[in-house]
Amino acid sequence: MNNERKQNEVYTQYLENTHRLGRIFTAAVLILLIGAPFLMGAYLGAMPNLSAAVKAFLGVGIVYLISCIVEYLIYLPMLGAGGSYLGFITGNLINMKIPCAINARDIVGVKSGTPENEIVSTLSIAASSLVTILILAVGVVLMIPLQPFLQSEALQPAFENVVPALFGAMACKYYRTNKKVALIVLTFMILLYILVPSLLGSVSMMIIPSGALAIILSYLSFRKKEARTDA
Amino acid sequence: MKLLGRLNSPVMYMICGSIIAFVAVICVIFGVRAYRTGKALGIDESKMKRVIIASATFTVLPSIGILLGVIALSGSLGTPWPWLRLSVIGALHYETQVAEAAAEAVGIGGLSIAGMTPEAFVTIAFLMSIGIMWGMVLMIVNGKAYANKLMAPKQTDRKTKKGRIDLSGFGDTAMTAMFIGLVSAYIAGYAASIISGNGAFTFTGSPLPLAVAAVSSAAMWVFIRIRETNGAEWLDSFSVAGSMLIAMISAIFFGKIM
Repeated sequence: MNNERKQNEVYTQYLENTHRLGRIFTAAVLILLIGAPFLMGAYLGAMPNLSAAVKAFLGVGIVYLISCIVEYLIYLPMLGAGGSYLGFITGNLINMKIPCAINARDIVGVKSGTPENEIVSTLSIAASSLVTILILAVGVVLMIPLQPFLQSEALQPAFENVVPALFGAMACKYYRTNKKVALIVLTFMILLYILVPSLLGSVSMMIIPSGALAIILSYLSFRKKEARTDA
Repeated sequence: MKLLGRLNSPVMYMICGSIIAFVAVICVIFGVRAYRTGKALGIDESKMKRVIIASATFTVLPSIGILLGVIALSGSLGTPWPWLRLSVIGALHYETQVAEAAAEAVGIGGLSIAGMTPEAFVTIAFLMSIGIMWGMVLMIVNGKAYANKLMAPKQTDRKTKKGRIDLSGFGDTAMTAMFIGLVSAYIAGYAASIISGNGAFTFTGSPLPLAVAAVSSAAMWVFIRIRETNGAEWLDSFSVAGSMLIAMISAIFFGKIM
């Protein structure tokens, strides 16, 4: 009984300190990440164009604002406090940290919401983050001798098409399970751009009508499915 | 090209490297604290060691995929900044989209070293920083309260009234729809610019971006098919970065004929 009470005290104290340290470290990293562009700007002799940043944020940034809120609501219960502070600082959540933590949890057989889960998730994400940092650091050092090659004229078409390459892969990922919605939205957007070519200069802003249309169509389809299930 | 040299200078490596080192220290502190507390709570040490080893090995392959992302972005943003973004907070798909949107807003047309200026670069870097910081902000502002609320016993179960649609399952669908909208805005732009890129119905736009997107999409489809038929789940870690690299290589060949 005494031992159990002592363990409870240790765990409560651990959580309290985790939140305190987590907040301090997260705030420090946030300041460093926002400050870095200004520091680099001082070296390069230019400062961020804030009006352009706001304009771009209103387009694509809004999507990620919502995405971040959803991730926060979903992932914190899965990762616990320590894992979440580390996870949000180190990123790559859905493609690495979440599967990694779930895998670790499954291996040792712990349940969500328990002290064991809190410890296992934190250990898992800390280890995963350190390995990523190490591999990227080694990779970047190895890349230095390759820089003249990577900067050669012959390779420029490749680097100038990073974005189409990304959206092609993502299109396949998202379109294949939502063919109807994708086809309607894509057709609508193509026609809109063809008829109003000036919109091609602000594609990031066009994410708003495109996203809104996709959400409306998905909502109608969702309602239809729900109504069918109820019947 | 001169700017790319400055983006890859030792000063830039120092700025980005020191932030990465700071984050590595945070990981060590959290890891050590968790391990010690685990011991105090009576969790089997061999279990905790297994967790560390399993997580480290699980991470190796996805990390190589992320490294490919650093290579992909290094041609337009230099190496240090993508290295920082992908080591610390970001994810490849997010970084590329936001960088493209910022490049467009700052007036250089798109993410390319050809039109890059110091102002464009720092604006892109700034937007990349603020665009994805909200998870961290929420953890600072509300993380403790939300975590405590989750630990508290639940009072009542939520009931859905008859005849009303329960929207609790719509969250995932809405997120997917939002990404469909995002991807469609760009893909449609590549297709439409062939027809109206230089004025309505002039048919003089470049088909290169659409061709690259098509190759990337096809490569992704192959990755998904292999994963589905052979159960090769490890491929998930490489599918996006691998598809992008295949498409980028194809751009070199397409560039010569288009």
